[in-house]
Amino acid sequence: MVAVSGPLLAVAGYWALLSRCGGRARAAAAAYSSVPAVSSRGGKQKEASTRRTSRPSQLIRSHAPPRTERMAVDQDWSSVYPTAAAFKPASVPLPIRMGYPVKRGVPLPKEGNLELIKIPNFLHLTPPAIKKHCAALKDFCTEWPSALDSDEKCEQHFPIEVETVDYVSAGTSIRNPKARVVTLRVKLSNLNLDDHAKKKLIKLVGERYCKDTDMLTITTDRCPLRRQNYDYGIHLLTVLYHESWKTEMWESEKTEKDMEEYIWENSCSQKNALDTLLRIKASENASNVTKEELLASELTNFSA
Amino acid sequence: MGRQCFLPNNDFMGVRLAGIHADTQERRTNPLVSISDEPETLYKRLSLLVKGHDKTVLDSYEYFAVLAAKELGISIEKVHRPPKKIERFTLLKSVHIYKKHRVQYEMRTHYICLELKHLTGSTAAVYLEYVQRNLPEGVAMEIKKTKIETIPEHIQKPVWDTLPEVEETQVKS
Repeated sequence: MVAVSGPLLAVAGYWALLSRCGGRARAAAAAYSSVPAVSSRGGKQKEASTRRTSRPSQLIRSHAPPRTERMAVDQDWSSVYPTAAAFKPASVPLPIRMGYPVKRGVPLPKEGNLELIKIPNFLHLTPPAIKKHCAALKDFCTEWPSALDSDEKCEQHFPIEVETVDYVSAGTSIRNPKARVVTLRVKLSNLNLDDHAKKKLIKLVGERYCKDTDMLTITTDRCPLRRQNYDYGIHLLTVLYHESWKTEMWESEKTEKDMEEYIWENSCSQKNALDTLLRIKASENASNVTKEELLASELTNFSA
Repeated sequence: MGRQCFLPNNDFMGVRLAGIHADTQERRTNPLVSISDEPETLYKRLSLLVKGHDKTVLDSYEYFAVLAAKELGISIEKVHRPPKKIERFTLLKSVHIYKKHRVQYEMRTHYICLELKHLTGSTAAVYLEYVQRNLPEGVAMEIKKTKIETIPEHIQKPVWDTLPEVEETQVKS
């Protein structure tokens, strides 16, 4: 009890002293308020009032000047943005504004602008940076052979064209099922085919041959991999080529309706013409019954 | 770098020789380049179709791709912009009933087509990898390669001339 009352009395005594001394003590307390050890109660009251109005110093980030202020005009920009990165307003020394402006206002500045961060930027691909990259990549490139200048020369030496398609897109999977399609194109004039072989090949192939450009197009996509489709396409071409050179026994039964072009020799039109001419000759001079060979020679003169 | 150079025009030592690609010896001195014996594939035409939702992004990408092709020495046939395609669909605005009130959405796809010609296999691989690695987000690409080849050996001549005579077996019908 005595120990408790001691400090209470001391406190009471302190307050009594303050109230008694009045202005002088208060002035003294105010003078000593900056030193927290001496006038603890006055200092705490002051701190409490300041805490309500401004935030504590730990939560305020130090406002260091942005990096743009220390950037030289002739700096190496490819070291600031070497790879694709988001837009950092403190690293880009440009006064960019983006956003829809309010009425009679301007677009928003770059600080904290989400629109500038969202859009893909090409800050890492400035022309000097592209030139640097290409200079480093040039060692891995090879020259196109200078002898193959035009399309005609390419076709003369390399007649087969193989067309493949690659697909690049963002998604859960990098695979695209359309990538396995392979298209082979050849001009039949470049293949070693004789007349019969060419006609048979065109009949075998059907719609895949275009008569105007003399181009055979084989599109394969029945295999799951592109290389397999390419091999299958070459296999088809080989089989077609060799089968067209074969002459089967039933090909001798080819009728006039199966012919691709009209052949006048041994056709009914020639027979009819010969018959008519024979009869004319027979009616004109009964003695001059010439042989069909002579008429044939006349007819060849007419038809030629 | 005190390297012995036996080329007549380089008599000062310690100079970086990278970047001079006219000499084959320069290519060999680059440790990353390896030359293989297999013949080069030849691409008559390389067609890049770039698709995106934002036209300005595609324009920037086109500038980058064209400059990269020029720097690597690739001839550009033409650069054209096929017309954009808009896919629209109409949905009901409300979760339940209110059939007369709908909302419409659309997706705009812009295209840029870059046609390059006369590329070798290694040049095409280098260019495509560079250009595809720097493809921006939200942009897709379709690459159509037209490779030219010689006629394979087995299609040069019909095989029936070289095969030995085989007695034909009678087909019994």
